Amino acid sequence: MDNERFLLKVKLQKHQQMKFFSQLDLVRVLGRALRRTDLPIYFTKGFNPHVKLSFGDALKLGQEGIVDITFYFTAKIPVDEFKDKLIPQLPRGLSIVEIGEK
Amino acid sequence: MDWINFKKPQRYLGNEHNVIKKSYFPGQVRICLCFPDLYELGMSNVGMKIIYGQLNSFEGIYCERVFMPDEDLYLYLTEKKKKLFSLETKTPLCDFEILGFNFGYELNFTNFLAMLSSGGVELRALERKDTIVLGGGIANPEGLAEFVDVFFLGEFEVQAEKFAEIIKRYKDKEERLRALAEIDGFYIPKFYDVYIKGNRFVFEKKYKHAKLPIRKVFVKDLDNSFFPVNWLTPHTAIVHDRAQIEIARGCPNECSFCQARCLYFPYRERGVERVLDLAKGVYKSSGYENLSLLSLSASNYSNIEKLVEEITAYFKDKCVGVSLPSLRIEDVVGRLYKSLRRIKKVSATFAVEAATETLRERINKKIDLNKLFEAARVLKSLNSRHIKLYFMFGLPYEEDSDLLAIGDFLRTLKAESRLKINLSINAFIPKPFSSFEDVDMESAQKLLKKKELILSNIPRDRDVKLSISNIRKSILEAVTSYADRSFSKVIYRAFCLGARFDSYDERFNYSVWREAFKQSGTSMEDYLQRKKDNFSFSHIEMK
Repeated sequence: MDNERFLLKVKLQKHQQMKFFSQLDLVRVLGRALRRTDLPIYFTKGFNPHVKLSFGDALKLGQEGIVDITFYFTAKIPVDEFKDKLIPQLPRGLSIVEIGEK
Repeated sequence: MDWINFKKPQRYLGNEHNVIKKSYFPGQVRICLCFPDLYELGMSNVGMKIIYGQLNSFEGIYCERVFMPDEDLYLYLTEKKKKLFSLETKTPLCDFEILGFNFGYELNFTNFLAMLSSGGVELRALERKDTIVLGGGIANPEGLAEFVDVFFLGEFEVQAEKFAEIIKRYKDKEERLRALAEIDGFYIPKFYDVYIKGNRFVFEKKYKHAKLPIRKVFVKDLDNSFFPVNWLTPHTAIVHDRAQIEIARGCPNECSFCQARCLYFPYRERGVERVLDLAKGVYKSSGYENLSLLSLSASNYSNIEKLVEEITAYFKDKCVGVSLPSLRIEDVVGRLYKSLRRIKKVSATFAVEAATETLRERINKKIDLNKLFEAARVLKSLNSRHIKLYFMFGLPYEEDSDLLAIGDFLRTLKAESRLKINLSINAFIPKPFSSFEDVDMESAQKLLKKKELILSNIPRDRDVKLSISNIRKSILEAVTSYADRSFSKVIYRAFCLGARFDSYDERFNYSVWREAFKQSGTSMEDYLQRKKDNFSFSHIEMK
């Protein structure tokens, strides 16, 4: 592997209108939100690299609740910086409830 | 609304990234841009994004959006006597001063009436006291003359500012229409008398300041025209799920069947530097993982090599896919081969149109099929697995041997390349303003026979995926494309009988349309044969 990965484990609250967006939509929404920041994104390897994210159990469409998501970076990101940069890019109805480094 | 009961509720929420929210104040002019097809298609339309961004850049104007709701929501609204609403503020359509429709396609006409009706708006222009329905995006507007107050011909960016000034200055519908009539590009049907005398359509002005002929307008300088850098980015998948940067408008090729060439005439390019700036800006504002360099024929772009090189260099580390639709075959194997290697997704779509050299020459489609075999091998080396090919049938000068040649060609291509082939075969539909505008559409009977003949020689194979025109639908498209003002009543009947989504094969209902023609005392054949010495749209100039 050519670069090291730095992980942030985030609990994301899906509520209001965002409950109508599927797990697949969420991949799109978070990938694009990250790309709008200047955070050092870790991309998957392979022929079609994309923003690396891993998801815990999916919520049913229309259900509010918490989704566990792991974000990957190529450098260590302080939790505050992550929040400051990502939160303005999130649609209303997605909010960060907890961040754990690992 | 309990959205969970509807298919893809994401379509109706209006919470996209970069959506424009303005608060209301008295005197603000409220416009709703309307797209008579589903969200996934409408949100892929660049024109709509341009107009949305530009109108909202003017003070005193708030421009929102609505798309044709899918059947479930449409029926629910009808049944519950609720009104179709804008996405941004959920305002019923009847509460807007201006409804701006981007028709895009002739088979969207019943959806257009369905949207008005569902939005609580009177269908006929003369019945509407205050609301102005503006329509654009089609070549021949005559079939809709009864329903639309103002048509716009050409590229709206050019007159958007004047339009905004007029609707801010005048509050009365009649005053607004009169002021618009004096500006190039705006066509107000009720200011003209159109009748048939002998074998000709006659056009007479009823309002002395109206223009005759009516000329389309176009952007002179693409580098300085408005571009929606704050790219409206959906949270859900749409048909063309990528940000599109327009690199050129118009097409310098002269294929005889092509209408786009005339609608977007003349050919204009945007400079490499400007395209790069826009691409960077759009990426920053949207975070889109795919960018597409849009034009009718990317191969004709003068600096295509430099552009591809610079754009792929910039986006390489960002892992953004750059795609280049509308390439010519010669370029895939020729001068662009090196640059294409830098693009991960080479969209391999080639409009071959006719399978023999003789027929291609007669329709002025200049491609070398031998190059296509070479291109197919190149594509394979570029990791493309699919190739998409377009053919037409029912073309003038066509022989049976031209049709059988399609199958032969496919067999050779398969043997040479082993690519999977997506094949789209469409009936030739003559179109206003194209070089073939005088050509008659072939009869349904003949077209059905030709379709059989083509199918008899197409390899039955898992690797060949085929879609071929529904003949009745194609004929209806021909009729609507050449419609005169009398056609409004047929569209109205079809809508009343339940026609919607006519452009979708699985939703198109021929018997409904046949009944609509019958109730209007006419038939599709009548319209097809109603040949005159000029056209119902001869008062419009596209060049």
